[in-house]
Amino acid sequence: MKKLIIGDHIVKSFGEGDERRHVLDGVSAFIKEGEFVAVMGPSGSGKSTLMFALSGTDDVNGGTVVFDNQDLSAASENELSDIRRTSMGFVFQQPTMLKNLNILDNIILPSMRDHRRNAASLTIKARALMKRVGIAELEKRDITQVSGGQLQRAGICRALMNSPRIIFGDEPTGALNSKSAQEIMDIFSEINEEGTAIMLVTHDANVAARTERIMFMSDGNIVSELQLPKFDGTDMDRRVESVTAKMLEIGI
Amino acid sequence: MYFRIIRNDISNSKLITLTTMIFVAAAAMLVSLAAVLIVNLSGSIHTLMTQAKTPHFMQMHSGDIDSARLTAFAKQQGNVEDFQVAEFLNMDGAQIILGEHSLVNSVQDNGFSTQSKKFDYLLDLDGNIIHVNDGELYVPISYMRDNTAKVGDIAMIGGKEFTIAGFLRDSQMNSSLSASKRFLVSEQDYAEIKNLGSMEYLIEFRLKDMSELRAFEAAYAAAGLEANGPTVTYTLFKMMNALSDGMMIGIILLVSVLIVVISLMCIRFTLLAKIEDDYREIGVMKAIGLRVSDIKKFYLAKYAAIAAAGSMLGFALSLVFKGMLLENIRLYMGESHNSSYASLFGIIGILFVFLAIIAYANRVLKRFRTISAAEAIRYGTAQEKNTGTNRFNLSGNRLFSTNVFLGIQDVLSRKRLYVTSLIVLVISAFIILVPQNLHNTISSKSFIQYMGIGSYDMRVDIQQTDHISEKTAEILHTMNSDPAITKAAVLTTKTFKVKTEDGSEENIKIELGDHSIFPIAYAKGKAPAEDEIALSAMNADEMGKQVGDAITVVINGDEKALTVSGIYSDITNGGKTAKAVFTDDTADMMWSIVSAELSDKALVHEKVSAYAERFDYAKISDIDEFVSQTFGSTISSVKKAAKAAIIVALIIMVLVTLLFMKMLVAKDRHAIAVMKAFGFTNSDMKIQYISRSVIVLIVGIIAGTLLANTAGEMLAGAAISSFGASMFRFEIDPLSAYLYSPMMMIGSVLIATVIGVSGVGQIKISENMKE
Ligand SMILES: Nc1ncnc2c1ncn2[C@@H]1O[C@H](COP(=O)(O)OP(=O)(O)O)[C@@H](O)[C@H]1O
Ligand SMILES: [Mg+2]
Repeated sequence: MKKLIIGDHIVKSFGEGDERRHVLDGVSAFIKEGEFVAVMGPSGSGKSTLMFALSGTDDVNGGTVVFDNQDLSAASENELSDIRRTSMGFVFQQPTMLKNLNILDNIILPSMRDHRRNAASLTIKARALMKRVGIAELEKRDITQVSGGQLQRAGICRALMNSPRIIFGDEPTGALNSKSAQEIMDIFSEINEEGTAIMLVTHDANVAARTERIMFMSDGNIVSELQLPKFDGTDMDRRVESVTAKMLEIGI
Repeated sequence: MYFRIIRNDISNSKLITLTTMIFVAAAAMLVSLAAVLIVNLSGSIHTLMTQAKTPHFMQMHSGDIDSARLTAFAKQQGNVEDFQVAEFLNMDGAQIILGEHSLVNSVQDNGFSTQSKKFDYLLDLDGNIIHVNDGELYVPISYMRDNTAKVGDIAMIGGKEFTIAGFLRDSQMNSSLSASKRFLVSEQDYAEIKNLGSMEYLIEFRLKDMSELRAFEAAYAAAGLEANGPTVTYTLFKMMNALSDGMMIGIILLVSVLIVVISLMCIRFTLLAKIEDDYREIGVMKAIGLRVSDIKKFYLAKYAAIAAAGSMLGFALSLVFKGMLLENIRLYMGESHNSSYASLFGIIGILFVFLAIIAYANRVLKRFRTISAAEAIRYGTAQEKNTGTNRFNLSGNRLFSTNVFLGIQDVLSRKRLYVTSLIVLVISAFIILVPQNLHNTISSKSFIQYMGIGSYDMRVDIQQTDHISEKTAEILHTMNSDPAITKAAVLTTKTFKVKTEDGSEENIKIELGDHSIFPIAYAKGKAPAEDEIALSAMNADEMGKQVGDAITVVINGDEKALTVSGIYSDITNGGKTAKAVFTDDTADMMWSIVSAELSDKALVHEKVSAYAERFDYAKISDIDEFVSQTFGSTISSVKKAAKAAIIVALIIMVLVTLLFMKMLVAKDRHAIAVMKAFGFTNSDMKIQYISRSVIVLIVGIIAGTLLANTAGEMLAGAAISSFGASMFRFEIDPLSAYLYSPMMMIGSVLIATVIGVSGVGQIKISENMKE
């Protein structure tokens, strides 16, 4: 498979003078088209920072990030916005919906910017997505009138609206109980089946075990990787075991 | 701990904190100045009236006087301490020339007096009783104020020469609102000019016990003594002295109220935004058992600090500006005896502002009670259903671009917040429009017409000369044979006696001639026909006459009943005039006016000089020039005020918009980051904020304009009525009021918004979304 995103010796540092330290210390990483990867590591190891760097949402202090043959570090703000809107989707841990809009409007919001004339077809698409993730009946609700799991599903619908080539999820199941988390992971697996690449940051071995490649981070470096066969609904226990074993091995 | 909380909070919102503080300081300064002015004004008036020994009761009287009977009455009244009859020699303004200025257009009744013997003294500027020498003239202080006269100028009174030796304070007639003004001359000079004017008597009493004034008034009336003229008491003198500075104090208070409202709006905005921000924290505090009053204290502390700092700054500023505003009071009335209390009252005024702010902040914080701890912790936001936004769905939106839609949506769902900036915009629009409309109204042609001046191009005044009628006829003859002049009319003013209700006689100036050639606008009724008379609003008011009432005028010794045909506003000749068409050859002509219309308006200037050269005894003026002389100074000061108001209001608009937008962006950074993460560009975000601003702005401009045209018109009408206008409508220049001004407001608010939201570009997705 072709590589969709290539990060090469990415350096990201925070602070000034003596305080200055590298949060990403020359990290190289890639994501192939249609690949399902996870990033694990202790708190503060730089997982989120890596995700923001690879998606071009945050500028880097060194190295390059190339998305689909385009150098993100050289792209303008507006070009980055366009790429995010048309080719990427994001799902975060905390609800990141606009308070003023109902669930349906929140979902279609990013696509409405470019396709206002097609509001009707966008609505149809959004309803189909909502139905698929099991929140079909919630479209008119306010975001404060639904549960965390439902909100996260709506977030996934929003990320899928523009049929992105990759979805980034920063601990998308972090705030959910394990049952809800597994349901969300079922949705992610399905989306991945259809060819969308996914990069998840997670602490949860059960979540990571669903993916096909896991990058382990520590102190701003990728210290190890674990390759798994593509998940087909079986062998879950063995997969989880190998993830936990690897975590123990590198001490996280 | 409070200190730490305040410090952190303030350093997070320096700009808005500073601005709020400046508004508070301005409000505190104005309130304190008003308080200081009130104390000084009352003190100075007291001092002046004590030094001058102002009469407790005064009856003006024109006509014959029976001194013996009055003296007997005074003796017999146990409460009378002192009694005197002073003379007031009323002289036509045309007879009084001070330096280069003639008082011909003076709206005052100017008259001459000698220094009183017992009380009602005319004082010099140090508060001492003036002793005047022969050939010297003391001039009412108001003519110094408006630069009509200065010490050392030569004055011509009815042809007699005087030197202006100084200015005088007159505890009765100081005020510009008092219709009469007293000049002071020596006894001998007075005797010489005595036959040049008409005599009025001031019958004056000082009482032993002021509280018995009412009883004394009744006794005077019951005795059937001389009473052809107004009666004035000590209290009324006091009020007249207070009125013009009182009006200034009123305006200061009005402005300070507006500024207090603006600072309250800043506080409201900051607080509401802060509560939205801290929603979850507030919920947590409630959940762990803090009382609402405890939580409130955290928030109130900051506003107490702002209000305290602003108040102190305002007090300091009021000390700086105090002198400037007290100048007028000091000039007219002298030093106050109780100025030491003034600062105390200033501080009380400031305390009032301080408490108002705390009370208001406390009220806004009442919202804490309605915050549900569970909801706040779980959702971090109020779960109130957004009324009005329901039917306004993004999915159903075809009309607006998505960015504009989001802007409108936000305004609708956070009405509370935006109402705050709306109020500021409405106030600003009001401040911009009212003075502007007022200026446009009083400088418009129809207003001039309405103020008692017909629409002619050139005007010839013939007065202060003998053979007025021959001269007038000569000019009219020339005009009639002048091809450049399309029409001309003569109006002659004569004095007649008019019978009042109680049978006494009063003087009335009646303008005779054909009033249909250059018609004026009548507030009520129409121009006079045969056996009719039209009255100026002031005359009608004073005589208690309506359209249709009858008036008895003495013409050539015969009483003649005339019907009031109309009432008009007049700003000329003190506002007390009348118009009629009857012919009369007996009464003395006071002056006459020939007005003319030219076929070519461009020739006005040329014609004016040509006639001026030919008829050197007449005053020829271009009508625009005449208007500008008559009330040009009022127009120009209103114009200045209008310009200043525009600048001040625009500054307020820009400042407040800038701050509100900056705060909104800071507050909404999370939502901004979300949208940016989903591919909305910085310019998309800016368009959203500009849409919010534009919506509020449009509503603000419309509401402000409506308010200016209703409440503003009433306010301006009240101010204008003091010039003798009876009815007031704004004459609005649509281009300026409905195009330029809104464009100016939109322009400045947009610029402020663009600058205010420039921070959107700096909001990093990663910093706001990181888990
Ligand atoms: N804006 C920032 N300024 C300073 N330090 C930061 C900033 N963002 C992240 N860091 C630091 O970078 C490190 C990595 O952060 P992050 O990528 O969020 O970790 P993770 O997601 O793995 O928990 C942490 O030590 C964090 O303190
Ligand atoms: Mg993280």
